Amino acid sequence: MSSSPRTRFAPGSIWAWVLLASIAIGLILTVVTGSVGALFPPEAATAQGREIRDLYTIVFVIAAVIFFVVEGLIVWTVIRYRRKPGDDELPPQTHGNNLAEIAWTVVPTLIVAFLFVISWQTLNNVEAVSAEPEVTVRVTGSQFAWTFDYLDAGGNSVAKQTVANGEGGILALPVGRSVQFRVHSVDVIHAFYVPAFLFKRDVNPDPDGRESVFELTIEESFAGEVLRGQCAELCGLGHRKMTFEVHAMTQADFEAWLVEAQQTPSPAPSGPVGTTLQLVAKDITYDTLELEVAAGEPFAIEFDNQDVAGITHDVDIRLADGTVVANTTEIDGGTSTTYVYGALDAGEYTFICSIHPVPSMTGVLTVN
Amino acid sequence: MTSDSHALTTTEHSPVAGLAHDAHGGISNPILGMLLFITSEVMFFAGLFAAYFASRAAVAPWPPAEFEHALEPFSLVFPATVMLVISSVTCQIGVNAIRRDDRAGFIRAIGLTLILGIVFLLIQVYDYGLLYAEGLTVAAGPYGTTYYTLTGFHGAHVFGGVIMLAVILYRGMAGQFSSRHHDAVEATSIYWHFVDVVWIGLYTTLYWLR
Amino acid sequence: MATTAPALTPAASGYRSGLYEWLTTTDHKKIGILYVANSFIFFFLGGLLALGVRTELAQPGLQYLADENLYNELFTMHGTVMIFLFIIPMLVGFGNYVVPLQIGAPDMAFPRINALSFWMLPLAGILLFLGFVTGGAAAAGWTSYSPLAQDRPLGSVGPGQDLWIVGLLLIGTSSILGSINFLVTIFKMRAPGMTLFRMPILVWTVLVTSVLVLMATPVLTSALVMLFIDRNYGGSFFDPANGGNAVLWQNVFWFYSHPAVYIMVLPAMGMISEILPVFSRKPLFGYKAFVFATAGIGALGFSVWAHHMFTTGSVYLPFFSLMTFLIAVPTGVKMFNWIFTLFRGKLTFSTPLLFALGFLSMFLIGGINGAFSAAVPVDFALHDTYWVVAHLHYVLFGGSVFGVFAGVYYWFPKMTGRMLGEGLGKVQFVLMFIGFNLTFFPMHALGLSGMPRRIADYASDAGWNELNLAATVGGFLIAASILPFLWNVFVSLRSGKPAGDDPWEGNTLEWATSSPPPPYNFDHLPEIRSERPVFDLRHGRAGSGH
Ligand code: HEA
Ligand code: HEA
Ligand code: CUA
Ligand SMILES: [Cu+2]
Repeated sequence: MSSSPRTRFAPGSIWAWVLLASIAIGLILTVVTGSVGALFPPEAATAQGREIRDLYTIVFVIAAVIFFVVEGLIVWTVIRYRRKPGDDELPPQTHGNNLAEIAWTVVPTLIVAFLFVISWQTLNNVEAVSAEPEVTVRVTGSQFAWTFDYLDAGGNSVAKQTVANGEGGILALPVGRSVQFRVHSVDVIHAFYVPAFLFKRDVNPDPDGRESVFELTIEESFAGEVLRGQCAELCGLGHRKMTFEVHAMTQADFEAWLVEAQQTPSPAPSGPVGTTLQLVAKDITYDTLELEVAAGEPFAIEFDNQDVAGITHDVDIRLADGTVVANTTEIDGGTSTTYVYGALDAGEYTFICSIHPVPSMTGVLTVN
Repeated sequence: MTSDSHALTTTEHSPVAGLAHDAHGGISNPILGMLLFITSEVMFFAGLFAAYFASRAAVAPWPPAEFEHALEPFSLVFPATVMLVISSVTCQIGVNAIRRDDRAGFIRAIGLTLILGIVFLLIQVYDYGLLYAEGLTVAAGPYGTTYYTLTGFHGAHVFGGVIMLAVILYRGMAGQFSSRHHDAVEATSIYWHFVDVVWIGLYTTLYWLR
Repeated sequence: MATTAPALTPAASGYRSGLYEWLTTTDHKKIGILYVANSFIFFFLGGLLALGVRTELAQPGLQYLADENLYNELFTMHGTVMIFLFIIPMLVGFGNYVVPLQIGAPDMAFPRINALSFWMLPLAGILLFLGFVTGGAAAAGWTSYSPLAQDRPLGSVGPGQDLWIVGLLLIGTSSILGSINFLVTIFKMRAPGMTLFRMPILVWTVLVTSVLVLMATPVLTSALVMLFIDRNYGGSFFDPANGGNAVLWQNVFWFYSHPAVYIMVLPAMGMISEILPVFSRKPLFGYKAFVFATAGIGALGFSVWAHHMFTTGSVYLPFFSLMTFLIAVPTGVKMFNWIFTLFRGKLTFSTPLLFALGFLSMFLIGGINGAFSAAVPVDFALHDTYWVVAHLHYVLFGGSVFGVFAGVYYWFPKMTGRMLGEGLGKVQFVLMFIGFNLTFFPMHALGLSGMPRRIADYASDAGWNELNLAATVGGFLIAASILPFLWNVFVSLRSGKPAGDDPWEGNTLEWATSSPPPPYNFDHLPEIRSERPVFDLRHGRAGSGH
């Protein structure tokens, strides 16, 4: 080697400043994000969520202190101990220090022990379920719909709401009352998630119908608010569309809503119908992908959903470009219905399950 | 600084300076490699066993009523088990023989081991046929799935072992092994013992622990 | 050595060779370089997939996706490629190149198996990508939760998922064979005098990593095999519809994949543990504590897997919470040892040190935001949101990828005999550092405000627009930072400054041979009396206290 590395690579203390600048940019980002998006979860809408938020705050403060101390130490060391140009001396060759090692083993251990204890306490409160909840909702997840069944004391459904692909019913909940959720899935894993609850729970499939149970109580101050809910576990094509709305209501409003929801309006088929076709759905597949009707007269489809309860289907009619011609209400697995459609002009249409827009549930309707 | 300060101490002057194989003594590289490989195999089977116990815990009764008598421990499988255990012994006899430079003894013992291994496999195939006829298939629920997966992967390992045995038998007959040079034999025998131990674990779990 | 100057013209050392030589080589150095090059190719591919993800998420509304399933394929393949074809093999590649050199061995213990391990990777990569042209790549996430990953309507029909399984089986086998190779090499082939506690830290981290691979990867293999049986032979392991158990998959998968995250970071930690001392001209602070911390992380790593399953409602939460918290302790020990290595040093700000400092400052964030999730109730809020995406990129990119670039700049001179340009290196660092934070920091806020992972689109009134746009801009900035790097490599290979044997005043044995080293690495070995034999040689034993 002919020249020393030091003359080839001038230490250029400027690079310490570049690094510093980069870190500063990182920190600025932190602050910016902190003020725009807030590094805190939204205000909690449930009593349980409030506990979680309090826990989050403690964790956050400790984390921030650790972050600033350690990051500060890094930055300070880097700036302080730059090698000066021409300095050829070796720094003192310290190999370690047992006392220091013990200190930075023990202190973090104490910190995490503390964090563990408080999160365990919070966990116990959050997971508590009462023997006799004031309201019980059974949540059924399916690709890609939510069904909310309001159960009476005997466990029977007294009202039902279905939200398919984010459209349809709502999840109405009273404030100030303990609501027990019993969740399960009929196909793949979903997750029931309402950001404002600061809570989610996986919705697992279980052929024996075993449910996962948790309880929440919405804060009084949230009466009248509409909260966003969303499936949080990847469940396939329509995962992102598995949204729903939580309507927090005063107890009186909730009672009224429940009474209204109990009277399930069944759309009465009306008028004379030309052809009546049969269509069966099973295993997320129509039994035929080709249907034919005559132009210019109303027709009907007797639709039989033979999938298990919880898997809903419908039979919409669309144009090639996706324009919806007929929008039907979906029916639950194990039930059947008769859809009545208005007269169509001659041509080719698509009939499709709006919940499962997959090839096996997308057929051609020829009108001639 | 000049490279003069780099004047390196000569330790050994060969392309493999630092190989230092003997400096560490102990077992040879291939045998250590085989032991580590077997460690990984143990973890592989641990994964399968974990799945077995999880499936089993969820199915009551176990075995399901229709397969109550499917896995009969004695008629076929017991002799097969005994054979595999004996083959471990003969395998070790073969290893001991080559350690003494007894090549004929080595060939005899390993040949016998090989035959026992093959017979074990044949019995297993025959047994599969019987079970299939009874309707116990991979797709027949957790019981069938776990049974075939566990025994199937074990069988695949026996098959691998049989190949290895065949190779060392061939090499032994070609006179490639001696008391000083027979790492491949040692490695194969370790593997064969492992396959045997797994079977004993499987046999007790699948056939006795019911 | 100065007289022959072999490094100036690699050909002179008889080292340069044709394509055939590269395809058939069993030399650990060439295989190491193949690993690194191959991993970079997959890094770029995985990065392009990520840019696809970011482009789609730049604004609400579907930007360009006609087939929405493609989005699921994009992030699934992005995660899979980055983890299994980029970061793990990349670190194996550095281990392959450096470990035999650092312990004074002529090669790996099993050179041909070493070559086999490598060649399985491009094959696996091809299989994984084949999915795109056979009706859709795997789309169930890199975690492939069952039943979504099952062959069922609206699940994972078609060969993509099977190709994914087979690809991962190959990669797993490659890893296992590699780990055996490393362990035998490290246990049996150290030069005289190289006792266990004189091994460079990188060697220690590769050792612990190999143990993790050896114990964890076969469990993944078993899980994959079972999933394959479920999908193709009607098995009943993981599909409740067939009497299986969906959560079982998660248990086996994470039993592997949590230790795997340390497989993805420990060697990178080892790399910066080589670099920090060299550029601060001090020994690593607390060598033994560091070794024990590494082993501790490895051991604890096997008892925390269910922290990925806190919301399943079917694991014993307090136990896994405690273990997950505890793992912060040995990691903290390392962090402080690194900082005190710098402390009172004389720091030279060459590019390797910059990237190593990038590792320290960013991994810290990733570690801390991971610890949030150890508090189970907090994880109820954070799980499966962009917070977790932020966490995983802060540890994997902020940690491992910065570590990898530190290693590239540090060992490139040894591998090729030429220096990488410092100016371009620094440009790359600054761009990448800023782009990285711009991409992934906003994700904390996104996650907290409830944006779930793995969605192709989001409501425009959810308040996520600006943060997503920032992340997308940042993603392209990272991509832009790759360009000076590629240019740097290209230029330096042709006309980079000759490196000489020891351009950095290194500590470890690889700097005691030529650059690049001859086929069996060493003509002579210096005496080994500490973990810094080349330092001892340079400065006498004066500075060394061992
Ligand atoms: C290199 C990879 C890597 C590494 C090193 C880590 C390190 C850690 N991870 Fe991370 N993790 C991932 C990769 C990694 N992780 C990935 C890929 C996922 C997502 C998988 C998916 O779902 O796709 C994930 C997800 C993940 C989860 C699940 C989140 C969820 O889905 O809900 C959790 C939960 O606990 C977690 C925790 C941790 C912890 C506690 C550490 C700790 O090891 C960190 C320890 C380090 C520090 C804490 C910093 C230094 C310490 C100090 C300065 C001491 C003082 C500190 C304290 C007292 C706190 N990780
Ligand atoms: C080492 C691991 C690693 C790395 C390096 C990265 C790098 C990046 N990741 Fe990561 N990511 C993961 C591992 C990683 N990721 C994992 C495990 C997941 C979870 C997957 C799942 O949910 O299943 C994930 C998920 C994930 C998501 C969430 C997707 C979702 O949930 O919907 C996003 C979103 O922004 C994202 C973005 C990025 C970006 C922008 C980069 C950038 O850093 C990329 C930078 C860009 C490049 C490197 C491209 C450079 C290329 C060129 C300049 C062109 C040159 C080309 C040639 C020469 C051919 N990633
Ligand atoms: Cu249902 Cu995601
Ligand atoms: Cu983990």
